[in-house]
Amino acid sequence: MSNLWLRISNEVAQAWTVTLKDIKVYYLRPGMIMFGFLMPFFMFFSFSVRREMAAEAGLARLLALTIFFTAAAAGPFIIPIERRLGTYDRLLAAPMSLFTLLMGKTAVGAFFAIVVASVAAIAGVLIFDTPVSQPGLLIIGILVGSFTFSTLGLIFGSIPTHNPGEVQMPSTLLRWGLLFISGVFIPLSEMSPVARSLAYLSPLTYAQDLMNFAVLGDSLLDPWLNLSVLLFTALLFLLPSFKLHQRGRVLGY
Amino acid sequence: MTNAIEVNNLTKYYDKFLAVDRIDFTVKRGEIFGFLGPNGAGKSTTQRMLTTLLTPSEGQILILGHDLAQDAYPAKRQIGLVPEESNVYTELTAWDNLMFTGRLYRMSKNSRKARAQELLETFGLWEKRHIKVESFSKGMRRRLSIAMAVIHKPALLFLDEPTPGLDAQSARTIQALIRQFSAEGTTVFLSTHQIEEANQLCDRVAIINHGKIIATDTPEQLKQTFQQVQSIEVSLAPLTENLTDKLAKLPDVNTVVKVADKWRLYTDDPSALLPHILRFSETQGLRIISLNTLAPSLEDVFLQITGGQIGVVQNPDTTKRRGKGRKK
Repeated sequence: MSNLWLRISNEVAQAWTVTLKDIKVYYLRPGMIMFGFLMPFFMFFSFSVRREMAAEAGLARLLALTIFFTAAAAGPFIIPIERRLGTYDRLLAAPMSLFTLLMGKTAVGAFFAIVVASVAAIAGVLIFDTPVSQPGLLIIGILVGSFTFSTLGLIFGSIPTHNPGEVQMPSTLLRWGLLFISGVFIPLSEMSPVARSLAYLSPLTYAQDLMNFAVLGDSLLDPWLNLSVLLFTALLFLLPSFKLHQRGRVLGY
Repeated sequence: MTNAIEVNNLTKYYDKFLAVDRIDFTVKRGEIFGFLGPNGAGKSTTQRMLTTLLTPSEGQILILGHDLAQDAYPAKRQIGLVPEESNVYTELTAWDNLMFTGRLYRMSKNSRKARAQELLETFGLWEKRHIKVESFSKGMRRRLSIAMAVIHKPALLFLDEPTPGLDAQSARTIQALIRQFSAEGTTVFLSTHQIEEANQLCDRVAIINHGKIIATDTPEQLKQTFQQVQSIEVSLAPLTENLTDKLAKLPDVNTVVKVADKWRLYTDDPSALLPHILRFSETQGLRIISLNTLAPSLEDVFLQITGGQIGVVQNPDTTKRRGKGRKK
């Protein structure tokens, strides 16, 4: 039992080591700033400027977009670069499980999103005096949503290739697809039944609905259902990452 | 005592391409084992399978007694890996690279700091420890890459082509370090196509070609096996036209290769060839500047085994081959 505990504590520390290293090496890279930091704000202002929207609704939308784009940006950016430079081999050969490595990489994107979303939330509350209905749920929502969307990015980072360009394209296409079918720009309550059914396929819908409840105090779905779906989706997204890594080991990446 | 590496029936297919073809070998603890082969022979594929980076199609790998297919974790704790490209984090300093690796191998703070200092001093990088690696030369990156691979004092160290592209001084430094690791009890698996390096460093070598291991022995034993690649190296003056062709026509000469200002005459029987050379120099009015009988080098053996031609830099028209065919 003590050996098992030692192994678990080692693996947690190793995942954290990977995360800290990536934060140090990649957070200030232009690609991360572009896809992780500027993109959500760009999207927000593109679809929100000159439209009548309450500050609370604007904050809820900005937070949903931030955790979605920022968290999902890390995986497809970092892992292919590391594969190309050979530094990923160092991690794969290290005495830790693949799950530990994936957790460390997930945390990289998640923390980036948590920081950017927190800055946006604090600015919204302190500078624009935006009221937040459920601060505790907002924090939980940012944490859970960030981890979920980071695992989404991890799927694309796990594609066996040395070329980041091959990963960015499908990653961007899928994220934009999930964005446009979600309830971010058109509230779920205003959607047709068909559009709403489609919106339920996008995890961003649940993040947006959760943010609506946390900030506005109003949502279409139960907030705990939203949280559960996001958690389940995170676990679901880890599976293809595992499979793709195993495939990479067979193909020689 | 278990072997450091035991490989049984190891096979790797990339789709339908057979990269490694049912190879078997063992590496004893404490030895420097050279894994030689031309480009594309299967060296890197084999090494990647031994270091868990690549899944074999078939076969068994035991690293320090641990079956990689069953549980790679205990084996991973005891191996160090230096890949062909120096995979260091260029955005970090040398110190931070070592601290990161030490943390990854769960070394305590004090032990990783002490070990990092020891390694940086040994590798001549201590003064540059706080400089980002992006400004390091290729040789410095290589040394740092090796330091990162040994920070946790691995029992088994894998090195893939550690010296190509480095200046002579850096290459010698790394070769000296490899000897030092071995002296300290580390088993070294050296994958290389630098034949002379393997000759200088390795206790035993395996030669792989087209995915198959075709010879495994000590360098000296391998040379003994290939006595037909003995040679006499002669330097003559003055240099006259068609000297290579004339030398190739001497009895008992298998192949003639011009090496700088000398000729290397490959023969099965140097003692029989020697009088012919002396007679030739007399009849041609040439002076013998130097004359040496050479045993086969490991490179000669390697070329014989892998089907390469001795003196491939030579124009084929100016060489003559006869006698024994190439050994497959």
